[in-house]
Amino acid sequence: MVAQASNCNRDRLKQLLAGTLPRETESNITKHVEMCDTCRSEMETLAADASWWQDAHEFLSSTEVSCLIDDSPTTGNTIDLSVIAGEFDTTPDETTADELVLDYLASSDNPAMLGRLGGYEILEVIGRGGMGIVFKAYDGELNRYLAIKVLSPCYASSAAARKRFAREAQAAAAVVHQHVVAIHGVDGTGKLPYLVMPFVACESLQERIDREGPLDTRDILRIAVQAAQGLSAAHAQGLVHRDVKPANILLEKGVDRVLLTDFGLARAIDDAALTRSGVIAGTPQYMSPEQAKGESIDHRTDLFSLGSVMHAMCTGRSPFRAETTMGVLRRICDGEARSVREVNADLPPWLERVIAKLLAKSPDDRFETADEVASLLEACLAHVQHPTAVALPESLASCERSRAAQYAAGGTLVVSCLVVFALMFTTLPNDESGEGPGQAEVLSSGTVNSLDEQEQLRWTDDLDSEMSQIDYQIQILETIDF
Amino acid sequence: MREAPETRQSLLLRLRDSQDHQAWTEFLAIYEPLIYRLATRNGFQDADARELTQEVLLAVSGAIDRWDPDPKLGSFRGWLFRIARNLMINFLAKRRNRPLAIGDTDFNRLLNEQPADASDESRYFDHEYKRQAFHWAAERIRREFQEHTWQAFWQSCVDGKTVKEVAEKLKMSVGAVYVSRSRVMARLRKEIERVGNE
Repeated sequence: MVAQASNCNRDRLKQLLAGTLPRETESNITKHVEMCDTCRSEMETLAADASWWQDAHEFLSSTEVSCLIDDSPTTGNTIDLSVIAGEFDTTPDETTADELVLDYLASSDNPAMLGRLGGYEILEVIGRGGMGIVFKAYDGELNRYLAIKVLSPCYASSAAARKRFAREAQAAAAVVHQHVVAIHGVDGTGKLPYLVMPFVACESLQERIDREGPLDTRDILRIAVQAAQGLSAAHAQGLVHRDVKPANILLEKGVDRVLLTDFGLARAIDDAALTRSGVIAGTPQYMSPEQAKGESIDHRTDLFSLGSVMHAMCTGRSPFRAETTMGVLRRICDGEARSVREVNADLPPWLERVIAKLLAKSPDDRFETADEVASLLEACLAHVQHPTAVALPESLASCERSRAAQYAAGGTLVVSCLVVFALMFTTLPNDESGEGPGQAEVLSSGTVNSLDEQEQLRWTDDLDSEMSQIDYQIQILETIDF
Repeated sequence: MREAPETRQSLLLRLRDSQDHQAWTEFLAIYEPLIYRLATRNGFQDADARELTQEVLLAVSGAIDRWDPDPKLGSFRGWLFRIARNLMINFLAKRRNRPLAIGDTDFNRLLNEQPADASDESRYFDHEYKRQAFHWAAERIRREFQEHTWQAFWQSCVDGKTVKEVAEKLKMSVGAVYVSRSRVMARLRKEIERVGNE
């Protein structure tokens, strides 16, 4: 253009915008801008980039409230309950899931009720989660309150998902245990499958942690013991929970009772969601590494998740966190959980070790059963409640001692090795001759008699190698400078 | 949308202080009509929409402490939208058979929910937010400019008249119209960014 080069100056444009130029210069540059497309465009970009100019036009020119309704891709996203009925079959939409559920309720004779479902009077919505909606209901025949969990229409859209839901729920219904929420009934035949549970006044462990932050050792143990007992009961039925997390652990109000809920269900929902959208619906934060990798799982996946839950109770947050779902999964598989004692130094070291063992990446390195965990933690709880009267369980106590005595233990070890050495020498001749009391005698006298010569020889060989090992260890110990 | 999320956060963080009158005034100016419109759009009558708006704002003021400003956890708007939507559903659920009974809504449960995923409804909410923010900011900055400066902006940018046309009408030079509207635009952007435009 006819731009005088000296006038094409970005800083001048900024000053022009800010109105800080002397009057005469301002008028000169204004004239220049009128002629120079480059400077004009530069100035406009300095003011705001192109999308702002567009937005200003779009947003400021419209004063009509419902300007967007025509642009919206579907018409099914209004919450007007009367409009939406009947649209569900063709356009399931997550945003309307709850309302759709409400529309499936039959009308009730009682005006105080929301409606009816399968013979139950529905009183109100008491919860809403990834999988659907939970109603408080009244069973007139048995005169009791119930909780009815209805699968969200967006997940119930395929017959396969509905069947899966019902199948999992039926399996869960077989578990009867004081720490598992009972399932009174399952209906997978209707358009919206649902399950019927007792109505329990409770809060979830998640809510408790959100509200109070980390829990104290006693509560951590108390909750973990009961959760492990509930898991153990389910595992005994061959049922793996697969989604142990604070939100699925309910704390009954008033009494100190812990209840596990949603056995096998959440992951059934995830599968449905996955096939629908390719996205994991629920949080993967408490998944086990084998789950995260999509490998085959067994009951020990629940032990890992229980470890994560205990970690969350100790620290107030789940142990494996990341910005994205993929990041969480990677951490679960490769990252080490932060030490709980780093966050809360008051926690006993043995609790940290129990959690670490539960959080072992390989299932083989974890505890073997939920029952084992329950018993161990129960003993720990007893110890915490009566530290002087009840000792810490031997497996944890010995570990504790060995750590404390790590540096002074050398001498003791020599002594104990020598004791073993001596014991073996003294018992060996007795057994070899077949006379006198020997170790094998405890089995039965017949066993001892039936030891043929070959077996005795092998035993002697074993002993020889054992002794040479002890010899070797003593040599090593002798070289250590105490 | 664009830069300056830190300003957005600072207004929202300031909301945690219930005594921060200015922050709350600005917040209400933008969000109150937004929630009201969301409600009317979903079939609420005026009185119900007002009541619902109050419920939502009360819920927000009670729960703002717990809202985590980490953008990775989702936007404030998403969170607010979620609250509004949940309260609407509860409202409607109860109204179905009990036309006037509301209340005893479990705020805490609703408030702990995570921001909604991008759904059509939350896109609508975002869109409406921007519209509200533009109108609010325009209203606020208008008196900072002389009338012809403002008109140069409004007529050429918003009403879509050509710059030449506007210049003639306002008896300004074409260059002056360009400069005027850019100045207004820069100020408008600043004001919207100040309250958050992510």
